[in-house]
Amino acid sequence: MPIFAKLMLPILLVVSWALTGPAELCAAVRIGVVMTGDIPYYSEMHETFVAELSRQIGATEKVEFLVQKPFPNSISWSNAARKLIAFDVDLLVTYGWPATAAVLHEKSAIPLVYAGVHAPNHAALAGRNATGCGFKVPLSSIVRYLKNLKSFQTLGVLFSSVEEDSVRQYETIKVLAARQGIQTQKIDIRSRFDPEQLKAIPADAVFIAASSLAHLWIEEILALLSEQQIPAADILPHAVESEVLMTLSQPPQPQGEMAAGMAAQILNGVAPGKIAPHTFRETELVFNLEVARRLGINVPIHLLIEATRVIE
Amino acid sequence: MKSWRLSCLVRGLAVGLLLWGLLPAALAPATDQPHELLVGIEPEHNIFDQMERYRHLADYLAGQLQIKVRFTIMSRYGEGIKRFKARKLDGAFLTPYPTNKALQELDLEPLVHPVGLDGDLTSQGYIFVRQDSAIRGADDMYGKSIVFVDPATMEGYLFPLAYLLRHGMDDLSRDFSRFYFAGSHASAILAVLDGRADIGAAKSTVFNRLADEDNSIRQELFILGRSPAVPEITLCLRKELDATLRSRLTTILLTMDQNSQGQMALKRFKALRFVKAMAAEFSKVAALEEEVRPLLKEAGKRE
Repeated sequence: MPIFAKLMLPILLVVSWALTGPAELCAAVRIGVVMTGDIPYYSEMHETFVAELSRQIGATEKVEFLVQKPFPNSISWSNAARKLIAFDVDLLVTYGWPATAAVLHEKSAIPLVYAGVHAPNHAALAGRNATGCGFKVPLSSIVRYLKNLKSFQTLGVLFSSVEEDSVRQYETIKVLAARQGIQTQKIDIRSRFDPEQLKAIPADAVFIAASSLAHLWIEEILALLSEQQIPAADILPHAVESEVLMTLSQPPQPQGEMAAGMAAQILNGVAPGKIAPHTFRETELVFNLEVARRLGINVPIHLLIEATRVIE
Repeated sequence: MKSWRLSCLVRGLAVGLLLWGLLPAALAPATDQPHELLVGIEPEHNIFDQMERYRHLADYLAGQLQIKVRFTIMSRYGEGIKRFKARKLDGAFLTPYPTNKALQELDLEPLVHPVGLDGDLTSQGYIFVRQDSAIRGADDMYGKSIVFVDPATMEGYLFPLAYLLRHGMDDLSRDFSRFYFAGSHASAILAVLDGRADIGAAKSTVFNRLADEDNSIRQELFILGRSPAVPEITLCLRKELDATLRSRLTTILLTMDQNSQGQMALKRFKALRFVKAMAAEFSKVAALEEEVRPLLKEAGKRE
């Protein structure tokens, strides 16, 4: 045997063993995940999803997660979706509407479970080999509470025109504010330079829509608002140390748990169309009194008693 | 002689002492006339605003009666019943269910009702959901969350229980994912508006007041059921209270809309006038209580 062949034989054996090795060393189930943006809300939802799915099928199946956290724009969402479809994963999971829309646009045969979608139109998704859950926060309550906290004429609305669901939130809150005689001021966040608009925004208070782009730069945004003594309200939860005055939100964990239950059913052979989608409507109201003090806002006692949590 | 004088002196002193002892009794009123009138108030959502409204009424009554009139907010609905039992209160402004209980269990006298600024003295219980929810009847309620006001409210507990019972829902723990008491009518309304509960119950007067302040509320909430209308607030007095004082108090309250000082106090109290109350007005509440008695007994056992 030539020397070259003698050297190559063990290498070829190792490579062929690695490629055709025991099945249990390869993932039995591969789940592709696309997050609309790399923001804590979706990350926490996904952590719960992973923990719950492991609890439900971990003993019988080995699961590999291929997680995509693209920069929030339509090309990146589309690329992330295509990549996972090309990997031929067994199940796709999406967080947020833009990522969900990008996967649906590809018309893949891979089943889809979505979560973290605000006010999802489940009926429109019927027959698309998809099921999932979302949440709905009554935006009118945001306007109502802000009005009780501070007298204001103009409400700034932070959203992103590339995220269809945040555009819908802007349009909804515009109508609701108009009913109360309040004007709205658009603040469209598309790039990292857009929060600079806040330096000259003629708003007395600001509502932050569930936009991944707005939440990517949320610290800079809140710092700019704080400098101008403008209170902010959000429909995504915030950490205790955040500069946001008020949140009315749906915690991410219940959606992560429910999505995991749906994924487990699909992996066990149930068709997505047979699994009823769900919209979470229970909300948590949080006031940050430290921020209120800094802004010179006195939160009335009758509002405080409504709060699920008060940060002092 | 000396003994006669001594005897006269002793007799005189005895008579004097007797007269001295009887004098205050003769000067005092024949019955239990208090120097202060202590009246309980059931708490509303904004107790600061509530105390302010009642303060003006207390000042007016004190001026007219020439005794101190003190209003005290009871810690929660229904507490008046317990406090009456302990004889700490002379009267209380009570909502329909506590009024009915007080009439039945304590033999109190219903005196007057305030008439609201809209000319109505009654309230109704409402059961409501968000307009954008899929709940349009009792059948859609299974597995959802429901918020009541307080176990001692007709509009916020008795009526919704009766509604549920009529639709075959007789076990709150089994039929709902969650049920809880918000503590006030406004809180129950806000809980449903915010999505913190799927179904709520509260009284019409608070519902309408909030809706008048914020016109979006009527567009956002859908009313599924309405209870019969009953007097919203009733001033009840203990029967042992001095008859003269009770009579004077009744007259003052019923005629206060006829003088400028009284009109001012009424305006600040947010009422047009007071009208005479009658025990028979609470028969609808008694009927509702009777209807839900099995559920109340069950809830009592759990407590």
